[in-house]
Amino acid sequence: MKPLALLRLAWRSIAGHRLRSALTTLGVIIGVAAVIAFVTLGASLQAGIVGDISPDDQRNVYGWAADPGTEGGPLAGAQPVVSEADLAALEERSGIDAAYGYAPLGTQAVATGDSVVPLGDGAFATGPTYVREDDIATGRQFEQGEPEAVVNPAVAGAFESNVSVGDELTLVFQGGETRTVTVVGITDTSEGLSPFEGFGQSPRLYVPTDPFYAGADSAADEETDGNESAEESEADGNASAPGEDDPGNESDGEAAAGTRYTAIVVEAPSADDAAIDRAKEQARSYLESDASDASALLASGELEIVLQTSTQLLSQLQDILGLLQNFIVGVAAISLLVGSIGIANIMLVSVTERTREIGIMKAVGAQNRDVLGLFLMEAIVLGVIGAILGTALGLATGYLGAQYIDLPLVYPLEYVALAIAVGVLVGVFSGLYPAWKAARTDPIDALRYE
Amino acid sequence: MAPSEPAVTLDDVRKTYQLAETVHALDGVSLTLPRGSYTAIMGPSGSGKSTLMNVIGCLDTPTEGRVVIDGADVSTLSGRERTRLRGIEIGFVFQTFNLMPRLTALENVAMPQLFQNVGRTDRNERARDLLDRVGLADRADHRPNELSGGQRQRVALARALVNDPAIVLADEPSGNLDTETEAGILDLFAEFHDAGTTLLVVSHERHVAERAERIVHLLDGKIERIEALNDARNGSGPPSAGPDGTPPSTVGRDEHGGSATDRGTDQEEPDRGPDR
Ligand SMILES: Nc1ncnc2c1ncn2[C@@H]1O[C@H](COP(=O)(O)OP(=O)(O)O)[C@@H](O)[C@H]1O
Ligand SMILES: [Mg+2]
Repeated sequence: MKPLALLRLAWRSIAGHRLRSALTTLGVIIGVAAVIAFVTLGASLQAGIVGDISPDDQRNVYGWAADPGTEGGPLAGAQPVVSEADLAALEERSGIDAAYGYAPLGTQAVATGDSVVPLGDGAFATGPTYVREDDIATGRQFEQGEPEAVVNPAVAGAFESNVSVGDELTLVFQGGETRTVTVVGITDTSEGLSPFEGFGQSPRLYVPTDPFYAGADSAADEETDGNESAEESEADGNASAPGEDDPGNESDGEAAAGTRYTAIVVEAPSADDAAIDRAKEQARSYLESDASDASALLASGELEIVLQTSTQLLSQLQDILGLLQNFIVGVAAISLLVGSIGIANIMLVSVTERTREIGIMKAVGAQNRDVLGLFLMEAIVLGVIGAILGTALGLATGYLGAQYIDLPLVYPLEYVALAIAVGVLVGVFSGLYPAWKAARTDPIDALRYE
Repeated sequence: MAPSEPAVTLDDVRKTYQLAETVHALDGVSLTLPRGSYTAIMGPSGSGKSTLMNVIGCLDTPTEGRVVIDGADVSTLSGRERTRLRGIEIGFVFQTFNLMPRLTALENVAMPQLFQNVGRTDRNERARDLLDRVGLADRADHRPNELSGGQRQRVALARALVNDPAIVLADEPSGNLDTETEAGILDLFAEFHDAGTTLLVVSHERHVAERAERIVHLLDGKIERIEALNDARNGSGPPSAGPDGTPPSTVGRDEHGGSATDRGTDQEEPDRGPDR
């Protein structure tokens, strides 16, 4: 029998049982829709968290010290162990171009003139090369030891009149202490520059660790007669600005003395794997050797140095999201299974109910494969209809969901194709046994069947 | 196949059902249907007429004995080949019509061609032509439940003829027909007979059976006697010339008595219509 004739006949019997066919496909519709909606939301969530990035910080190795058992993203369980001296020593090593700390500053707002904008966790003290030259749209990198800042467009555009290079900004720290910085550069995007920050878009401002984090350590004396804001902060006792240099601390002994960084960045000379591995090896061997300040804090064995590139960190994050998504899709797939059992059940009922019709068809010359094809076609048509409607419903749900939680909408098209294929397969598999049963019906028994 | 070869040969065919007691639906039937012959079967209800038709129609398999169709022993054929025989060699008119309830008259008639991969236009044209010949051109788009018993029977007949079968088997084809329609159907049979089709027709009615060349009388699954009719077209009066074989000559002489006996047995049945 020709496929088209088969299809037409199959459609006749599906259309002949409208309600039953509708209820049967409903199982598949819900299953496919659930899979597609969850996959879409998962992909959108991933895009929302990770952003649309191709990391251009490939030379950077991000490091921190954490309990080896800690699970999670960058800086999970990290403790401050690396000192200024360690960073200076790391920079001396061959295979390492630069090494600097990274520390979020406890700011609460940023102001220019009368215009004040809240900035909770968007200020970071770090090394000059953290903001890569490629990423700067106008101006230059900040310099260590200077009250300079590089801001991203989200900060620059946040005030009544746009901030431009050369303008002064006042940073307001938690506790009310203020410092003035000069904007020397503006980046080209508002996305995060490293996995430490996360990759999403938000207002960010970058300043040198000296004087904003570690400055007090080495340059405290010079700072005092430096600019007035620095003087002011010194006078306030540096209560909330990190990098304080309390005389009491100094007497605590060497291990705990001085500024310690929770997060460091080590730059390899190039992005190729060998250079990255060498930089990691150099950094690890130094930090774990007795020569480093960090080693004293690592000695207990409860902390271990973690050194990773952003690609590695990103893939870890994606692994976690992927795991979550697989779990949800697994749950949705179960509903697809239920849907296919529904089709199989209805097809079996249908075969029994139509035993006599099968007998008639065979009596007038229908071969086994004709009967098989007919019932299989019915199941496949049900599966395909379910898959198509389910896909439409799933895409719509994914769209609404992404709108609702305000995520960038990403349709993972390969999954959509997969869902439709699964619908067809569900039809084939659930129809196979009933169709086989129908095909081997003995015509004389079937004709006698009441 | 040689033209001399008979269309159907039955050799000591038995069909036994093992129920609470053993039922011999067919109890050693040997019969030959020469190519192009026109044979009627008569017998009381339960005598095995339908069983015989099913066996010849390759729907049922005998418990014992041989069924040869077009020179091929049916028991040696594969399921596929048997289905092929049913599809194109044999046209079967069922006692209970066996129409597809959800298909229209036209689709029912066209269905056997569907399984022979005939295109839709050709199929419908052929089906329409046959419906016209059985007088149902105006009912082509009706479903079986919208048709009378006689109309359904005619749809079933049209379906049996659609693939131009060499052998037509009809189980009580006139049971539900009024005199006029019945005459039309019998004329159609005559037409097919003239065209060389082998016909085997079961009937309760003597005048229907008398349109054939001979009548096979069944009783309790056995052939009671075979009655040769010389003037098949009229079916009236005793044969003008005595047949050569011994049993048929008896038959010839007892013709009127035999027919009376037949009617007698038939009238004992509560239901003269198709048994269900
Ligand atoms: N499937 C069956 N199971 C048991 N007995 C059957 C079956 N089919 C037919 N018979 C018996 O075989 C005999 C012949 O039946 P059938 O050929 O239908 O008779 P007819 O068509 O001459 O009325 C009957 O006695 C009937 O009861
Ligand atoms: Mg019968």
